[in-house]
Amino acid sequence: MSQDNGMKSGSNLEKVFRAGHLAVTCECGPPKGADVEHLKKKIQMIKGYVDAANVTDNQTAVVRMSSIGASAILAQNGVEPVMQMVTRDRNRIAAQSDLFGAYALGIRNMLCLTGDHQKFGNHPFAKNVFDMDSIQLLNMVRTIRDEGKVNSGDPVEGGVSMFFGAAANPFADPFEFRVIRMAKKIHAGADFIQTQCIYDMVRFKEFMKMARDMGLHEKAFIMAGLTPLKSVGMARYMNRNVSGITIPEAIIKRLAGVPKERQAEEGIRICLEQIEELKEERGIRGFHIMAIEWEEKIPEIVERAGLYPRPAVA
Amino acid sequence: MEKESHLWATCSAACPVHTDTREYVRRISMGDYEGALDVLLEVNPFPSVCGRICHHPCESQCRRQVIDAPVGLRLLKRFVVENTREYRVQRRRDTRKQPPKGKKVAVIGSGPSGLTAARDLALLGYQVTVFEKDSVLGGMLAHAIPRYRLPMDALQEDIDDILAVGIEARLNCEVGKDVLFESVKKEYDAVLIAVGLAESHSLPIPGIGSKGVLLGIPFLWDVANGERPFLGDRVMVIGGGNVAVDVARAAKRLGPSTVMMACLESREEMPAWKWEIEEAEEEGISIMNSWGPKAVLERDGKTTGIEFKRCVRVFDENKRFNPQYDEMETTAVEADSVILTIGQKANLDFLKGTPVTVDRGRLICDRDSCTATERGVFTCGEVMTGPGSAIQAIATGHDAARAIHHFLETGETLKLPQVSVETIGELPAQTAARARRFDRVEVNLVEASARIRDFSPIEPGYTEAQALAEARRCLACATGAVLDSGAQCAGCLTCVRVCPFGVATVERTAVMPAQQCQTCGLCAAECPAAGIALARFATNKMKENLEGFLKDCSPGAMKRPLVVSYCCMYEATTREYLREQSQREIEATGILRVMVPCVGRLSAIDLVSPFELGADRVAIIACREHGCMYTGAEELLERRIQMVRRFLDEVGVGGASLQFYRTETSAEASWPRFWQDSKRVLGELSAA
Amino acid sequence: MIVADPKPFQQIRGFLEDYRKILVLGCGTCVTVCLAGGEAQAELLASGLRISFSKDGKEATVLEDTVQRQCDEEFVLPVLERVKREGIDAVVTLACGVGVNFLSDRIGAIPVFPGVNTTFYGGNVEPGLWSEMCAGCGDCITHLTGGICPIARCSKHLLNGPCGGSEKGMCEVDPQNTECVWQLIYERMKLLGRLHEMQNLIPTKDWRPAMDGGVRRSVREHIFRLQYKSGAGA
Ligand SMILES: Cc1cc2nc3c(=O)[nH]c(=O)nc-3n(C[C@H](O)[C@H](O)[C@H](O)COP(=O)(O)OP(=O)(O)OC[C@H]3O[C@@H](n4cnc5c(N)ncnc54)[C@H](O)[C@@H]3O)c2cc1C
Ligand code: SF4
Ligand code: SF4
Repeated sequence: MSQDNGMKSGSNLEKVFRAGHLAVTCECGPPKGADVEHLKKKIQMIKGYVDAANVTDNQTAVVRMSSIGASAILAQNGVEPVMQMVTRDRNRIAAQSDLFGAYALGIRNMLCLTGDHQKFGNHPFAKNVFDMDSIQLLNMVRTIRDEGKVNSGDPVEGGVSMFFGAAANPFADPFEFRVIRMAKKIHAGADFIQTQCIYDMVRFKEFMKMARDMGLHEKAFIMAGLTPLKSVGMARYMNRNVSGITIPEAIIKRLAGVPKERQAEEGIRICLEQIEELKEERGIRGFHIMAIEWEEKIPEIVERAGLYPRPAVA
Repeated sequence: MEKESHLWATCSAACPVHTDTREYVRRISMGDYEGALDVLLEVNPFPSVCGRICHHPCESQCRRQVIDAPVGLRLLKRFVVENTREYRVQRRRDTRKQPPKGKKVAVIGSGPSGLTAARDLALLGYQVTVFEKDSVLGGMLAHAIPRYRLPMDALQEDIDDILAVGIEARLNCEVGKDVLFESVKKEYDAVLIAVGLAESHSLPIPGIGSKGVLLGIPFLWDVANGERPFLGDRVMVIGGGNVAVDVARAAKRLGPSTVMMACLESREEMPAWKWEIEEAEEEGISIMNSWGPKAVLERDGKTTGIEFKRCVRVFDENKRFNPQYDEMETTAVEADSVILTIGQKANLDFLKGTPVTVDRGRLICDRDSCTATERGVFTCGEVMTGPGSAIQAIATGHDAARAIHHFLETGETLKLPQVSVETIGELPAQTAARARRFDRVEVNLVEASARIRDFSPIEPGYTEAQALAEARRCLACATGAVLDSGAQCAGCLTCVRVCPFGVATVERTAVMPAQQCQTCGLCAAECPAAGIALARFATNKMKENLEGFLKDCSPGAMKRPLVVSYCCMYEATTREYLREQSQREIEATGILRVMVPCVGRLSAIDLVSPFELGADRVAIIACREHGCMYTGAEELLERRIQMVRRFLDEVGVGGASLQFYRTETSAEASWPRFWQDSKRVLGELSAA
Repeated sequence: MIVADPKPFQQIRGFLEDYRKILVLGCGTCVTVCLAGGEAQAELLASGLRISFSKDGKEATVLEDTVQRQCDEEFVLPVLERVKREGIDAVVTLACGVGVNFLSDRIGAIPVFPGVNTTFYGGNVEPGLWSEMCAGCGDCITHLTGGICPIARCSKHLLNGPCGGSEKGMCEVDPQNTECVWQLIYERMKLLGRLHEMQNLIPTKDWRPAMDGGVRRSVREHIFRLQYKSGAGA
């Protein structure tokens, strides 16, 4: 299905990238059950404000509606899904089969992840799978798409034109390896990258420079991940408890400097300033706004960031 | 007892009769003074004498000195004999003799060597007669060593023991005079010449014949017999050896205002023991070093003084005695008497005209077989070896007895096998550096001014508390950790990790080099294969021991709660708690004491098994705060107790039933309180 | 070596309600080394059981024994004979799971209970601490990772580098105690001058040699089923 401009899937997200726009994605967590109405409400909130929305796959290892099911519902309701898939819970047989199923349901973007360890979720006693890691998953799904072969080498019946993404965390250790790991993902098959939420701008820019030096910004669409902070409490909590995230003292101070009721607004402002700043960063091709349990703010942020309306691409 | 290292402790190796030092010291620690006496008497018929006057090569070689100071072994020995008198008397009855052999042995001379041989031979079943020219048995011990060092009753204890085996002693019977050697020879199947070196050398210098010149040995002999030879007010003793010091100190006790010593040697070269010299000086005896007698000054045949010439060198390049003088440098000292103590010789006149060869006053003999030149004639003691110590003489007495026994059995000469003892060697410095220091228990001699008034003993013995404190200082060298059998060792390295002294290693299986092992037993306690034991002071049979203690106690009669109390035996200052309890006592008190040399060596199973055997409570009583001999033992024990408490909780006994106490002040002062406490808490628990 | 932890006492106690003559069997190899099931531990457990039985008024005999290895026929046979001879009606083994199986396969109608929880193949990284180091995956890949095994030592068994949870060298799953193995691999590859190799993709692993290919066997042909044609030997 590849087109002249290198189009791989023809998904809206891919088209936005290829048309040269700054893309916008957000996160849409499925319910902890089969509550379709709840999911639909979230969909309505973001509809029109993003080019696609990530549907998480049992994130933080808490059991939720499957990402494949939820993604299909998004697609049916007018928001393009980026279906996330983790290797924690499925071996290569299940992963490939789910890929086919997802494609058949009209899903065109897939983000390949290893997944959070089950220790952090609500079934810490479960057995994990980890038959492969995210990079191997990328490599496998790319081979299906580009070579028409499953992991065993058997042919695939019918094509699978999907747009594959991966996550990158510039803030974990060892720092120098972070960009190499992103490169591995891109080489394995990632068409686009969403980064972990950025607070430490200095370190991020350093990361981007290394990426550019390796020409990675030309090989994949890199989206800057952002999470608006609701309060100084949330900032502190994340700093302490979420590994791979460090929030600079300056930001914490700034939040702490305003009264509680205005901290949310301050958090959004910080986020907007970051978007402004990153628009100028070479190689940044879009924003992935992870408003955790705060989806209602997506329209406001997108509008205030000057990213509204979203382009219509053909 | 586990297999011990083949290495000798340096103390035992240094002892001419190889006394099992570690064992008697261990028995003292365990309150078994009688057992300690048994160990001593095994090889040494003169423990009372040695406890007083032995020059204790054991102490000089004690490995503890690298850490702080040697163990006070001589005084420990003395403690044993002084605290087991009744037992000793009673023990004589149990002496087992071999059936009579129908052969007779004559021993000439009743010094330590002769009496030792006589005793050995009598025990072997020979009919032994001792010929002694004097009226008292004991040789130099009786006649030369001054009483302030060796009281007569101490010697008598040993002699009584010896005679008790059945020896005929012919006193006042000088061979050569009262009875002829040849007739003795004819009458007996073997003859042992043990006549010692009873005569002093004289000097061929002018004035030596003047009245006031005495010879050392005869002088001491007279003094010992209560005579008071004329000395005048100023006494000069010639000689720098131990005998000279004894002569000078004995002379001092006879009242002259000045007693001096003069010798060829420099201070450092003096052959007398350092401590003897120091004690003499304390008593006001002055020493002139590096002077050789030139002439005795006399007036009217009476001694008035002595002239010396400078001695510039005593020994030549070959370390041989070969004094050189500077005749020009002289000095004269006024003296009313001069006592020559410059060496001893034997009186062998009784051998004149017999086939036994004497050459220039020396008995021709072979030391390796204790034989003289005539078949059936043997020798031992100083007449054979030259001047030495009592314990050396004793050792040769044993040798001679063996040689004679062999001869009488086989008709052949026995070449005594050269026993090569491989010793454990010095304590390596790196191990010593990790060992705790413990001060040696010292006794205070009687004040010098009081000492010189008479011949009363000048040194007190150890009290019981002192002896127990000193005994714990023994490192029990070469009786430490050994692997039961290589097969059990999994090479797990636990021993390596817990050994506070960095001793244990694993070379396929665990190796605890005896040279370094401090016998703390921590590795044994922690070995997961239960494969390490201590050669002495073992706790690996603890359960069997407990069973033994409890097996005859009737459960009905037992006072409840029953407390098994493991106690650090090193805290006892009397043997009250060290002694084994009777079943009755255990029943009546409900307390079973188990004395352990350091409770740190109790393994987890040692702490649990009492409950299995019916105990309601286990009370561990450790040493005083910071009192532990073994670095690290306290910490490891604490952790082990925590672990066992958790286990007991799981089992349902309750971890609190395992109690831990630390001795306060002393065992006697605090242990009964702990035992009561232990019971009380239990009572509360069962009431709840 | 194989590492194990003692099972909770009460769990073991619970196995034994119906038995009268119980053998506690230590093993002299791995579990001795990791202080979980050697002779000393067997003594302790046996003693604990006797105490517990007598407290509960239960009549039962508890015997102790330890063999060099419970995973070899020759070492185990004498125990089997003893069990028969002495009428032992239950065995608690302190060997790893191998020992439990090995005995169960051979002992007939006598139950064999585990006295330890077998945990992993590990090394004694410091006194009193063992760490997992190998997963027995059957196809060692440590030549690719500087000799450090990410399968055993990465909480997610990642093969291509650390996840986003690697922080300050520690693994997010247990940041207090567990090092991020990928940090270790990274440093080691750097030390070895092989950092560039970390850009290579390690492909999906063939898990057949691991447990996933079914039960595994190891055969040494030169000894296996050796039967002397000459009729010599047993
Ligand atoms: C002053 C002095 C102090 C000493 N102090 C110590 C000390 O502190 N510590 C130590 O270990 N050692 C000491 N010694 C050494 C110790 O006393 C001797 O090593 C030991 O006594 C030698 O024993 P012996 O059996 O060889 O002979 P001796 O003890 O000399 O005994 C020989 C015996 O043979 C008898 N005798 C001799 N000729 C005849 C004969 N013809 N017929 C019958 N009987 C005869 C003598 O009367 C004497 O009783 C000291 C020695 C002296 C002289
Ligand atoms: S420490 Fe004890 S065993 Fe060792 S040399 Fe001294 S007295 Fe002998
Ligand atoms: S632990 Fe103690 S007993 Fe064992 S080898 Fe070391 S010093 Fe010796």
